Parts: sequence; structure tokens; C-alpha cells
Amino acid sequence: MNVDSSGRDGGGRGADQVGVSIVPTLRLLTPAALILGVGFVGLVLGYWANAAFVPGTTPEQPIDFSHRIHAGDFQIPCLYCHSQARRSPVAGVPSVNKCVGCHNTVASDRPQIREVLQYFANKEPIPWIKVHDLPDFVYFPHKRHVAAGVECQTCHGPVETMDRVTRLAPTKMGLCLDCHKQHGVEHGLDCWTCHK
Amino acid sequence: MAMIDRRDFVKLVGAGSVGAGAGFMLAETIKHPVEHLIPYPVPPEEFSQGIATWYNTVCSMCSAGCGISVRTLEGRAKKIEGNPSHPVNQGRLCALGQAGLQVLYNPDRLTAPMLRTGERGDGAFVQTTWEEGLAEAANRLSSLRASGQVDRVCFLAGGVRGHVGRLFERFMAELGSDRLLNCDFGHAQTLYTASELFFGERQLPYYDLENTRYVLSFGADFLGGWLSPVHHSLGFGRSRQGRSGVRGRFVQIEPRMSLSGAAADEWIPARPGTEGILALGIARHIVEEGGYAGADRAAWAESLAGYTTERVAEQTGIESATIVRLAEAFAGTRPSLAIGGGAVGNHTNGVDALVAVNALNYLAGNIGQTGGLVFNPVPAFGPTARAGQSGYRALLELAEDARQGRIEVLILNATNPVFAMPAAAAFEQALAEIPFIVSLSSFMDETTALADLILPSHTYLESWGDDTPEPGVGFTVAAIAQPVVAPLYNTRATADIILGLAQELGLGDALPWASAEEYIKASWREIYERAPPDAATRSFDEFWRSVLKAGIWGEETRREAAAFTVDASVIARVGVAAPEFSGSSDEYPFVLHPYSSHALHDGRAANLPWMQELPDPMTSVVYGSWVELNPATAEELELREGDLVEVQSAHGAVTVPVFVFPAIRPDVVAVPIGQGHSEYGRYAKNRGVNVLEILAPLVEPTTGSLASSATRVRLVRTGRTARIVKTGGASRQLGRGVVQTTGEGASAGPRATLKGIPITVEPA
Amino acid sequence: MSFFDDFLAKWREYRKPGYYERFDYAWTMTIDLDRCTGCEACVTACQAENNIPILGEAELAKGREMQWMRIERYWEGEYPDVKLRFIPMLCQHCDAAPCETVCPVSATYHNQDGLNAQVYNRCIGTRSCAVYCPYDVRYFNYTDHQWDKPLDEQLNPDVTVREKGVMEKCTFCIQRIRQAKDSAKDDGRRRVRDGEVQPACVQSCPAEALVFGDRQDPESRVSSMMDNARAYRVLEELNTLPSVVYLKKVDGNAG
Repeated sequence: MNVDSSGRDGGGRGADQVGVSIVPTLRLLTPAALILGVGFVGLVLGYWANAAFVPGTTPEQPIDFSHRIHAGDFQIPCLYCHSQARRSPVAGVPSVNKCVGCHNTVASDRPQIREVLQYFANKEPIPWIKVHDLPDFVYFPHKRHVAAGVECQTCHGPVETMDRVTRLAPTKMGLCLDCHKQHGVEHGLDCWTCHK
Repeated sequence: MAMIDRRDFVKLVGAGSVGAGAGFMLAETIKHPVEHLIPYPVPPEEFSQGIATWYNTVCSMCSAGCGISVRTLEGRAKKIEGNPSHPVNQGRLCALGQAGLQVLYNPDRLTAPMLRTGERGDGAFVQTTWEEGLAEAANRLSSLRASGQVDRVCFLAGGVRGHVGRLFERFMAELGSDRLLNCDFGHAQTLYTASELFFGERQLPYYDLENTRYVLSFGADFLGGWLSPVHHSLGFGRSRQGRSGVRGRFVQIEPRMSLSGAAADEWIPARPGTEGILALGIARHIVEEGGYAGADRAAWAESLAGYTTERVAEQTGIESATIVRLAEAFAGTRPSLAIGGGAVGNHTNGVDALVAVNALNYLAGNIGQTGGLVFNPVPAFGPTARAGQSGYRALLELAEDARQGRIEVLILNATNPVFAMPAAAAFEQALAEIPFIVSLSSFMDETTALADLILPSHTYLESWGDDTPEPGVGFTVAAIAQPVVAPLYNTRATADIILGLAQELGLGDALPWASAEEYIKASWREIYERAPPDAATRSFDEFWRSVLKAGIWGEETRREAAAFTVDASVIARVGVAAPEFSGSSDEYPFVLHPYSSHALHDGRAANLPWMQELPDPMTSVVYGSWVELNPATAEELELREGDLVEVQSAHGAVTVPVFVFPAIRPDVVAVPIGQGHSEYGRYAKNRGVNVLEILAPLVEPTTGSLASSATRVRLVRTGRTARIVKTGGASRQLGRGVVQTTGEGASAGPRATLKGIPITVEPA
Repeated sequence: MSFFDDFLAKWREYRKPGYYERFDYAWTMTIDLDRCTGCEACVTACQAENNIPILGEAELAKGREMQWMRIERYWEGEYPDVKLRFIPMLCQHCDAAPCETVCPVSATYHNQDGLNAQVYNRCIGTRSCAVYCPYDVRYFNYTDHQWDKPLDEQLNPDVTVREKGVMEKCTFCIQRIRQAKDSAKDDGRRRVRDGEVQPACVQSCPAEALVFGDRQDPESRVSSMMDNARAYRVLEELNTLPSVVYLKKVDGNAG
């Protein structure tokens, strides 16, 4: 290629150019605009890459608890461990003593189970990472939904097939409103039903 | 092939990468931060996440003793409500009671025992352990014991009631020292003495505001801070509008309108210190012309002969016609009630004035009547510490003893005398003569800042204890105080500190309890065994749990309404001399009226942000101090709101901005108490002025208590102005009809409705 | 109808007073001015319950306020015949609320319980609602607020902590109403009973001046209080149809 010191192709100067040049088009755009354009495309790609590759919907938990084994294979009902869901606005996760109830004897030699028993022995809670986290300004009472007969899988997806819990449902207001509209929930569309 | 310059290519790649990175990070920032779910390892029984647990305990923000229920979520106290089962407050609670949460979670709490390092007053402390701290204190005490000098140990307690108060007594008794002083600035010592002198018992009666029809209040701010404001507010509300067709009438006699004065139907500003004389003028009228038919009429007539209406009118500045009218209404309306306190009790004639108020009740036949004054049974645990409360005189004696080198160790609990004592008493200087000062306070207040050893107490929401209300409610009640949260810091319950000291001193046999909880439980076992209602079916544990669950325990023990008679000597003693003031009226033309501010009380709530931001009900001022002037006075002195003046007494001066206050006598100026802290945390420090400093050391002779209303002052303009921060808008309605009033026996106006909602239409 | 006609028709309908033919509950508060002593227990109770921030002296000096329930004081007369009147002032939850008409984003609206609802998420902070409110009971968050630790441990998780740029005001303790309705449902679909819902201010008032309940229930306490001859509403002539009914203070004359 034959370029002058300014870095710009000399246009008709180079008789030995090969191929179709997009340079005339590129030259029309000032470098700044082109940089901004590429930058913007990069922004969009980066944003997409984040959502595609590290959505954070499946965090790694301190104990690799598998719902597939417990709720799927052994068919332990959801409310057995998540017993608060029936009577409290907060569903929460079971305390470690619930795990120890069975695992004191069941498979108590496996390494992960031994870790669980260690937590219990030290009277330490297992620091689970919240997968389904609603903002603080939202009032979502589990007990109301359980009482209304909403299946856990409706919002949480097929948890009994998950080895690691994934947040499938978007925690956006649209999800709540769609369901409230569909089922004609009494005052379901009133803002103050959910917003504190 | 596209022809692109290398530099351009690099720039584009760079731009693309930066863009991608930015996009990635942008997506990252709008993600929820990772939150954890931390359950209990082993949840307490009956625990449900997200569902609150309520604990009943006793409020300690003032001396009333209201029962409270505290809402806790996951071990954190969220809201304090009144306990509906408690007869004092019946589910209601005042602003100060609500603010107890800010005592518990105050950022300036003392978190661990501390030893002084630098000089006293430097504020240099180093943290230490409980073992070291208790050992340090015990060493001092035991060496004094060994050398037979244990009378050089003084315990200045703050009037703590209940069995914790009893523990202090037992500790000092076991130690062998009789220097246990219960001192509290706000204590109504003159009122207790007046009760003792007239009724023969050193405890307060029950003032039945709820059922009365006419109240003559001589300076008692019963709705604001006098004794038991929540209970009195309940009574006030019910007296006004709780009975069909009957509305109680309230008359307030005080030189500066208080909250109760604002609620009253009539506010009568008698000359400061002459309220007792007014009471006797009314009394004399009842005896001579009001048809008083008691057997002791002659004795009363003789005793009250000098209090003719004309003479009383001259002394008090109240018209004769008014005195007669009040007397006839008070005696003629059945039942009626006379109460006294506040500034009236804080004059040189304070006790006599309050005795006069008691006499009024006697002469009008209110003693032992519903709607009058009813004697209380002895409190559940016996006479309270407050009944035996020492006062100003005891503190002066302590200061003198200190100066004479007779005090080696001073232990302080729940009291702040360096703040509350007037400068003229030189109390702070006397403390310098005490070699070792131990403070059990939860906060670094002015007195604690001068301590050598700090053994910080739990706040009341973290402590075991118990309480009986004061004044009593007409029958025996008691409540257990229990912790509502686990202790926040490395502090201990005051009772535990005392028990720990007892252990170190080898007094463990006499005070054998391992903890405050055990001590309170053991004390309540005595109550249980005294007269257990159905002991056959209920174990002590069941009894204990039932009291905790209800938050109150009581016995139906009303005193019989026996005819109360008064001894001739008492009648002869009734009389109120003219009040004395410090400073001549030429040099100091105004009488200073210091009053406990509604939000800060005696200064104890100055470290609570809710209370600092609570507008003063009368003036709406926040965050500062001010001096209230009558509008005519302000005009005469050419002072406007915000002008800084120096309020000078013969014993000191404070500089405050002026506030023009419509409801105060022209010859009186008022300054609220509570600000002017030099310590006590970020919200209290260096804000406003402490008017208590400039008070004259005049005393009421019978009790030796400080006559805090007897100081004369003058105002000196500084030429500067200061900002007074107020909330709210105009102080007059300007015809907007926001607050509407109606005469007695309101007529039913025409009733219109709009869409079923009634609207009242005011006739033109 | 075109999309826009349909939209406008709905918009107008939502804004008519009395949009709801019958409220589910018509929450009403009565305030007896003859009982109110001005003690401000209600003010502090509300602060504790609703995470009301402390503004500090500097902000208050600018004339800003943050008290969902405040006590107003008005002097009458001159010394010595001077009187001081107190009146608690809070959001009146007007059925014909001026604030609801002006919000450009519908962040404030009237719900099926007769409450004037404020949705913090929707608010964009134009502050026009505060200008329109004749009772001056709307408070704007001019700053993000800090709670000196550990005062934040006291914050009520049932109530949002508002951030800078949103308007807030009394909600009649919607969190307590919600909880009461929840409890009622737990017990099997019964209605909320009279007296079961007590906003923080009502619960705390030592003089029992505040009463709260459903005015559509003829047996409720508020209904009987509203029948009182002394009942009136503040600034009634503006036709805002407030849900707060005051009882006139009785002027007990001398003698």
C-alpha cells in the first residue's frame, strides 16, 4: 500500500492498489464519528456478552446443594424444607438443622455433607446466595401465593430438575402484573398491593 | 480487501474494546448486588422469619413507669408501642417513650469498660476488660473496707426503682456504707414532702383526672412532663370527651403557659411564687363563705384568716372576682381536683404551696373520692427509692464532704449532676477532690467524662429489671422488665455490674445471684409465694411466664375510702410565705422560669436525633435554645425574634436568641432546659445553652431542694442576631379557620352530605 | 375508537372524584381537637414506623420539613387572654385530591381503599403535587439520607427507605393495613374488623384523640365520631373531600 505520512491513502495515487477499496466511504466519515460508531457497537456487544455469558442467574453456592437429587429423585416436597413459605411473607431457606435432620445418618461421609455437618457443629449458618432477589421496595408475601394455590414452579421454574438453582423468571414487574391480570386477583393491579 | 490505515485500525479496535468493556460494566452495574440469605443455624422455637416477635417490658425514659411492647424482627428492635394491659398507659405511649429505640441504637454509646489515661477532663480513655475494670473498682473498695473507711464510698444512683434499686441498697448495706444517694434533677421532692406533711405518707396519691369535672392545676404540667404524662393525657382526654354530656374543666395557674396551660380552658398567670397564696385564698373562701362544714372549721378559719381575698389579690396580681369565681367553681363542682407541681414546687415556699394544694383538696372533699385524690396502697416491692430520694441538699453535702477529703470513691449511675447542678454549687470543682470516680453510664455525659473508670451499663431495652409505677394507679401493680434484644456491645446490666463487684469483694454470700435475671426471678418468687392466686395449679415458672407475657402483674388492693382527717397541728402549719428571689428587682427585673423542654426533658434526651428534631410544641423551635419574652416586654426593650441577648443572673450568664412568646407574664422570661451539653454525643454536644448553670443556689428550707424558679435575671443585648430554626408556617390562623372551635354544648349545624360523606356547613 | 381516544377516555374516568362506586374500605381518621394536647407522640411514632429521615438543623433552616404527621400551632388573642390551638395535620387522603390531578406520571392516585397512594418508583420529582396540595402535607426528599450506624438497625423493613428525588407523605400506615388484610385472609376471608388496623399515630396517642377505621361500616367507631355535631373538615370549602374528619375544639368559657 502506498500511504503518505498522514496515514491517509492518497486516493488515486496508488496505481498498485489491489481489490475494491472502501476507503472512499470510510473517508467520508470523520475518524471521530467512526470511532464513536465502533465504540457504540462495542458497547452493545459488551452488554449482550454480559447478559449472555455472566448473567449471574446461577450463582455458585457455598454448598453444592442439588434440588434435582432432593426434590426430583427423592421427591421431597418444596414446603418440607421451605416451611416458612406457607405462614410467612418471607419464604427463606431452611436452617442447617433441617439438613442435619436427615444427613446426620444419610450419606454422612460424603465431603459436601461433611461440610454441612461442620457448619452445624460450629453453630454457623450456611451463607447462601440469593437467587430470586426482589428489590426492597417490593412486598411479595409467599404465604398469599401458596395459599392461592400457585405452584412453586410457576415462578421458580422446574427447580426439581436443577442441580444448581437458576433464576429463570425475570424479576420484573411485568411477570407479577401478567399473572395478576390473568387470574383477576383482587386489587392485583393496585400499586400499593406490592409496592411498600 | 478493505484498505484501512494501521493507526486507524488500532484506534477502531481500541474504541471497540473500550465500548465492549463499558457495555459489559454497564450491564454489571445495573445488576442487583449479590445478597446473601443467612438463616439461623438452629432457629428459636416458634420463630418465623419475617414475622415479628413482641416483648413486653417497662419504659425507663422517665419516672412514670409505663409498660411497653417492643416489636422485634430478627433480633432487632423496630418499634415501641404501649402495652395495652398496663394500667398506667393502657397501650399508649409518649414521644419520649417512642425514642427509646434511639437510646438503644445510639451511635455514641459506650461500648466497653474504659480507664482514664490522661488528666481528668482530657477525654483520654483506653478500653479495658471487665475483669480488669471490676478488679480495679473492687480493689479500691476492699482496701477501704479493710481499713474501716468504707464510709468514704458514695453511690450516687439516679432513683432507680424496683429490685435493681433494692440491689443498690443491699450492696451498700453489705459494704457497710450508708452513703447511697438517689438523686435525679427532675425529681419532685417537694411534692413528696408535701404529701408526707399533709397526708402523713411519703408517697404520691392517685390523681383521678379521668373522672373529675374540675381541675385546678397550680403549675403542674400534667400533660407535658409532670409525673406520669401518658396516664394524665388519658385521663384528660376521657375527662373532656369520654363521658356523654359531661366535659371536665381545666384551669392552669402558672406564669408561663405550658402544654397543659394550652389545653386548659383558663390560663391564670399569677405572680411567680404566689400560686400557693392563691390556693390559700381560694381555701379561705371555701371555709368562710363556701359552706365548709367540717368539724375542724374553726381551726381552718384561724389558720387561713390572713388570706383574705383582697390581700391575696394584691399579692398574686389576680382579681378578687376571679379568686371568688375559682373558689366557688372548685368547691361547687363535684368531683374536683387540685394538683400542684412544676415551678410552683421549685420556689422557696414550694413545699408550703404544695401543702396548700393538698389542703384545697381536703376542704373541697376530694380526698378518697372518685374524680379526686385517692391514696395508693404501698407499692408491690415496698416504698420506692424515689420516695426516699435525696436532692440538692444531699448533693451540696456530698460536695462539701468531697472538699473536706471525706470521699474516696464515688460511683455514679443514671445521673448527670455536672450538667444539672448550678455553677454556683461548684459541684464539678468538688469532684476534683474525689480520688476515684466510677461511672456506670451508657453514654459519655458530662459527669462520666470526669470519671476514672467507666463500667458501661446496658440500656433499658437490654436489661432485666422490674418496676412499679409512680404515682401508683390506685391498686398494686408491678411489671417485669426484660431484654428485647441481645446486648449490642461489651456492656453489662447495671445489676450485673453490682453483682460482679459484690463477687470481687467477697460479698457473694449476701448477694448470691449469678446474674441480673436470676436476681429478678428470685425476687419475683417472693411475690409469687406471697399470695399466689392459684398456686395449687400454677408453678412458679408458669407464673413467671404469664407475667412476662402480659407485661403486668397486679393485685386488687385498693385502699378503703376511710374518712381522712387532718391533725390540728397540720392545719395550724398551713400557710404560704411570700417567695424569695435572688437578686434585687432593680438590678434583675425579670424572674427566670426554667422549664423542662418537652422534647429533651431535663436534658436526658438531647442525644436522640428524633427529640432534637421534634419541634417544641409551643414555639416550634428545633435544635437550639431560646429565651421567651412577653410581646410588651420585647417591644419595650426593642428586641425582636432572633436578637441575641445575654440572660444574666447574679451567678452566671447564658447567651440565647429572643423568642417573642404571647403567653408569659411581662415580668418573667423563660428558657427551656435540656441543651447546652458539652459532652453526651454528636447530637447533643455544643448546641444551645444550659440554663441550669446560672441558677441561684436558693433552696426550699424544708427539703433543701433547689428553688430553681427563684432566680432573677436581666437581659443584656449583644447587638448580634442568631438563627432560630422553626418548623411550620404562620403562628396565627389569619382567618383561615383551620382549627375551629365551638362553644360549650355545641349546636348541631345543618348536616349536608356529598356522595354520602357528611359535610358540616358553618352557618354564616 | 382510536387508541388515543380510548386512552384519553380511561384517563378522564380514572380522575373523576368518586371513580370507585364503592370503596372496598373507606379508611377514615377522626381527630378530636378537644382531646389533642399537642404532645407530638403521634409525630415520633410515625417517624419510628415509617423510616422518616432526620433532616438536621441546616435543612430545617432552609424551610424544608419531613414530618408526615405534624402538629400545627396557632395563637389567638393577646396577653393575658391568649390561647394556643394545636391541630395534627397529615395527608387528608382526599377523595378529590388536587395532587392526583397534576402528577404527570401518575405516581399518585386514588386506590380502592380510598387512600391517596404515592408510588416512589414512579415519581420523577416534579414536586407539582406538593404545590397543589392545600394542606401542605407532601414532603420531598432533597437529598439521600444517612442514618448514623447503628440507628439504621431500627428501620422498618415493611416500609421503603426513600431516596433522593421522590415525594413522600402519610400513607395511613399502608403496611399495617396490608398486614391486617393478610391476617384476615389467613383466618379465612373475613373482613378486617374495626379497630384491627391502627396506624402508628392512632395507636400512640395518649389522649385517645385519633380514631381510625372504615367509614362505610356503620358500626365502626369512626362512623359514630363523624356523626358528632362537632365534626368538620379542614379547608372544606375547597371541596377536596378529605378522609380526615376533625372534631372542633370546645371553647370552655371562663366560669
